[in-house]
Formats: sequence, structure tokens, C-alpha cells
Amino acid sequence: MKLYEYQGKELLAQAGIPTPAAKLISSPDELDVAIAVVGLPCVLKAQLLSGGRGKAGLIQVADTKDDARRKAKRIFAAPQKVKKLLVEQKLEIARELYLCVTLDPVSSTAIVMASTRGGVDIEEVAAKSPEKIVREPVSVAHGLMPFNLRNLIAPLGLEKETAKAVSRIAEQLYGLWRKQDAVLAEINPLAVTKSGQVIAADAKVVIDDHALFRQPFEHVAEEYGNAVEFEAAQEGIPYLQFDGDIGLMCAGAGLTNTVFDLIHDYGGRPANFLEFGGPNYRKALQAMQLTLKSNAKVILIVTFGTIARADVMAEGIAEAIKALKPTIPIVTAIRGTNEEAAAEILRGIGLEPLMDTEEAVKKAVALAKGGAQ
Amino acid sequence: MSIFIDRTTRVLVQGITGSEGSFWTKHMLGLGTVVVAGVTPGKEGQVVEGVPVYDSVRKAAQTSGADASVLFVPPRFAKDAVFEAMDAGLRKIVVVAEGIPVHDALDIRFAARSCGAMVIGGNTSGVITPGQAMMGIFPYWIDRVYKPGRVGVMTRSGSLTNEVTAMLIRGGFGVSTLVGVGGDQVPGSRFAEVLPLFEKDPETDAVLLIGELGGSMEEEVAEAMAERRFAKPLGAFIAGRAAPPGKTMGHAGAIISAGKGSAQGKIDALSRAGARVAERPSQVAGIFREMLK
Repeated sequence: MKLYEYQGKELLAQAGIPTPAAKLISSPDELDVAIAVVGLPCVLKAQLLSGGRGKAGLIQVADTKDDARRKAKRIFAAPQKVKKLLVEQKLEIARELYLCVTLDPVSSTAIVMASTRGGVDIEEVAAKSPEKIVREPVSVAHGLMPFNLRNLIAPLGLEKETAKAVSRIAEQLYGLWRKQDAVLAEINPLAVTKSGQVIAADAKVVIDDHALFRQPFEHVAEEYGNAVEFEAAQEGIPYLQFDGDIGLMCAGAGLTNTVFDLIHDYGGRPANFLEFGGPNYRKALQAMQLTLKSNAKVILIVTFGTIARADVMAEGIAEAIKALKPTIPIVTAIRGTNEEAAAEILRGIGLEPLMDTEEAVKKAVALAKGGAQ
Repeated sequence: MSIFIDRTTRVLVQGITGSEGSFWTKHMLGLGTVVVAGVTPGKEGQVVEGVPVYDSVRKAAQTSGADASVLFVPPRFAKDAVFEAMDAGLRKIVVVAEGIPVHDALDIRFAARSCGAMVIGGNTSGVITPGQAMMGIFPYWIDRVYKPGRVGVMTRSGSLTNEVTAMLIRGGFGVSTLVGVGGDQVPGSRFAEVLPLFEKDPETDAVLLIGELGGSMEEEVAEAMAERRFAKPLGAFIAGRAAPPGKTMGHAGAIISAGKGSAQGKIDALSRAGARVAERPSQVAGIFREMLK
């Protein structure tokens, strides 16, 4: 899960990395207290998980209290529904560096990256002049060693004091990445101020979802595209909503992706991506409830389960239909362990079970387009 | 013949007394797998499906002469269990657990590479040589999927493997060994690391690769083919052509980021390297018929 900037900066500060004086507020009324802490001029930064805050006008510099109040009100009133605003000391930035720690699945190492071309264009730098970004692989077994730091910092050509500070911050950031189960810990820009201080002007930290049992973070609604996706996440059901009209209930990520592809190939448009396989195979009711919240004109159910037994899934679907009484047609291709019993159950509730995925997809596409049932 | 596991492999089961562990031990034995020992700390002296249980992998391995281990332990204990197996000298390890923290997975893969172990998974059904033996959770009794034959299968997925392999079987082919490398971002073993075993196996004529969007495992296979490190015919099916970028589509490993890892990119790389890529599961049998005629 992606953390908010202010959470990321709290982690950086805990790790000993310099961050600007800051105060988090949730209404313009708290501005005076914040300004008393950070001084003027200050920067007002909307706390949102999505990128492009600057371009959307959600990061503003304010020179006076009145100016700050006006701008804070405007940010809180923005359509993005900003709930928290980070009020920060304005830095006198001389240059912008880049620093991050991530991982490489192939070598199974950490990768520490640094560049003197930090700032908003780092992705363009990565694409057009990758040689401007130094990449140092680090063994997770031994950790970041002095030679790693020399390999990382020397090519940047920084003057001595700055190099020392960046080196120390790289070490601290690696420690944070490891300790917090981060998949990404990024400082962009890592600012060098006019007085020569090296300080984290932004923070992007992504924590591994599988490690949340040992990390103190909880998912928030804003991580999800909409309320239904959040609701599905609470149920532990992978779910994404789209603007098509074929409601998907599939089991297994790979099979769901395949059905998604086939729908596109046959000229249809999925209303959602829903996977109720694996540990979720007894959740047909919740899955159908979610699917009915999309724009579906037809429900397409495709499974090929092994532990997720076909008869259990068919039973669950029969119960879901009884409880929810969907008015839209349902097409099924439920195969796998005990598939004959599954077909029997489905015929018992008046469905015509299919055994072939492509046939089922074609039928669902035709039904969504208003074809005969 | 086969790769990784056959009817002579002496298998140890970690977490054997749990409900999953005992259930699948019964079925591994049912297929003919030689399961020689089980481990659950604190349960030494028990017997599960006729298999003796020990407190530690070291003692179980020494007593039973096991040479491979399959783990039915919760994801948060997977790292400890894999390290225990490697410490006891086991070098073939299958991890079924879904949801292993990625930092644990990095540690597992790094350690495995350091000691020469092959770890398969997590988030996988495991490895099966139909008609002989398995380590993992396969309903081997579904014979329209798990029929012995001469095509090696590598996959990241569970249900999709059934879907696609059933098409292969329907075309008259069978499977030498099926290896599920798992759906995680950092699998213990990657497709390109399994490939040399299929290349060497005289009973494998061709390989079916079942891939999906995200990561770079399929591109690495294409590289191995282009460099002639793998020279047998390879057919592939890649899911996720229609997936929008930036969304996690089910598997943790299935995400397109910064324009990399798209299904189309993988299809192009494999095709350029000489693989045949099926657009739909129903085309798989035809492709293998052409390649193996």
C-alpha cells in the first residue's frame, strides 16, 4: 500500500533523515497553529495518494497568513476531496537530487538508485538518459555496505560535504526500506538548500501488502478507485470496476485475465474484474452482490477450480441467486472438481451451464448487446 | 521421465499435521508419491496417513533420507520453514503459501541461490509429474488436465493452467512435468531457471508456457531461446492483453508499470525468439500439433 507523503516523511524522520518543519492540518482553521510551527513563507501540500498534485494546483506556496488561508480554503474545496493538508517550511532549494530503494526480483537484491537530475522529470530522465541514474544492487543478506555507498555516490560528482550527507541518507533510507517491509522508498526531490543542507522535500513509500501483519498501517478508502472497490477489498475479494456491461465473476487471477481478454476479442466490454477463487471460493454471494453494483447487463461466471470445488461454487451461486434475485441473465462455465454435480445444481435453478470458456464469453457478449438469451 | 520430481523422489512434508498438510499428504500418496516423513514442531511421534511426524526438519531428513520438501505452512512462517529445510540439506523445496512478504521472498531466493537449492513458489500449486508423483495441491484425478505425456508445462497461475492444459490434452498430448512457479512478485524460481531442466529431459519434447502480464519472466524465456540455451519447440499462452496499465489484476506479480511487463510485449518477445503464441486457449493444441508433427 502506498503511504501519504506525511506518513512517508514521518518514517524518514524516524530513520534520522532531515525533513522540513511541518504540521498536518485537517481544516483551514488550524492554519495559524501550523504557521507558528513552520513560519512564513510556507508550502501547502494536499495529502492525496495520486500523483500530479502540483499540476492540479494542490501544492501552493503562501507568503502571508491571508494568502495561506485563501489557498488552503481553495485546496480543501477542490473536487479531489482533500482531507489533510501538510503545511511545510518553504525550502530555499539550490538543486534537486533523486534517491530511492526498490527491489529486483531477478537478482533478488535491493536496488539503490541515485541521480543529480531529481525533480518532476525523473521519469523522463529514466527513459531518455538512463545513464544519469546510478543503480547499485545491494545484497539483502549483507545489507548496504561501504563499497555500495562509494559505488552509488562517487559517480554523482557531488562536492564533499553534500556527498557525505547523501551517503548517510542513502544508508538510512535502505534501513527504512528493509525495516518497514517497503517495496519502494523514494525521495524526489532530495533537496540541497542554498545553505548546503540536504533534506527530503518529498517522500513516496509503498509498503508490501503481504507484510501488513507486522507493520502498523491500515488500508484507506482512497487507495481504491471507488466505494465498491474498497468494499470488495474489505471482503478480501480482488475487484476493479470498469465502464463496460459484462459483469465478471471468475476464479483465479490468470483465468480472470484471460476471460477479460476474450471479452475484448469478441467485441464486448467488461463491467468489472472480480476474482473469487482460492480462499474466496465460498463467497459467491458477496461476489454477486459486488457485481450487481457495476453496470452489468449480464453476469458471466467462469471457473476451473481444483480445491475451489465446482459443486461448492455452483451451490454458492444458486444460493446467491435465491437471495439477490438478479434480473439480468447469467452465463456460466463452471468446471473442475465435481463439475458434473455443479452442472446438475445449475440446471436445477434453471440455468443452462456451458463447459467451454469461449462459448460462454461469446454468449455473454451477445446478451450484453441485446441478443437472444 | 520428468524433471524435479518422479516416483523415486523422497518427499518430506512440513506442516503435515495441519488440515491442508494432512489432506494433501493423503493425495500425494494416492498418486504414488513417496512421502517419507512429516514435520510439525511439537508433534513428534504422531503419524499422519502412515507417515511419521518429527519436531524438526533436520531430524526428519536424517531419519528418513528425504531429498525434497513441500511446505504447508502459513505465509508468515514460510521463510523460517524454507531456511530450516535448506539448513537440513534439502535442495528441492516447494512452497504453496500465498501471501509471503516480499522481503521474506527476497531472503528466500537469495539464500537458495547461495546454497544451490531450487525453491518453487510461493503462491503456487506446486510441481506434478502426472502418473508418478507430486509436491503440492493438484487434483491429479482430473484426467482431462493431468495426463502423462511429453510436453513440459510452466505456469504462474492455477485455474488458467487447468483451462489451457485441458486444451493441450484434448489435442491428444500429455504432460511430462508441470511446474507452477507461482503468482508472486519474487518467486523462488523463475521460468528461465526451470527451462534448462526441460531442455535436458529426454522425455520432454516441447514446453508449454502459461504466462501473464507483469514482471519479466516471459521475456527471460525469450532471451534463453534467442541465445539457443533452449532449443526445443515452445508454445505459449499469455493472459492480460486487455488489462489496463497500473492496475493490479489479481496476482501480485501481475501489474504493468512504467510501460514494462505488458502481455503484448511478452507475446512479441517470445514470437521474435521463435516461440508460437496462442491468442486463445483453444488454439494451443493446434500449435503443438504443428510444432511436433
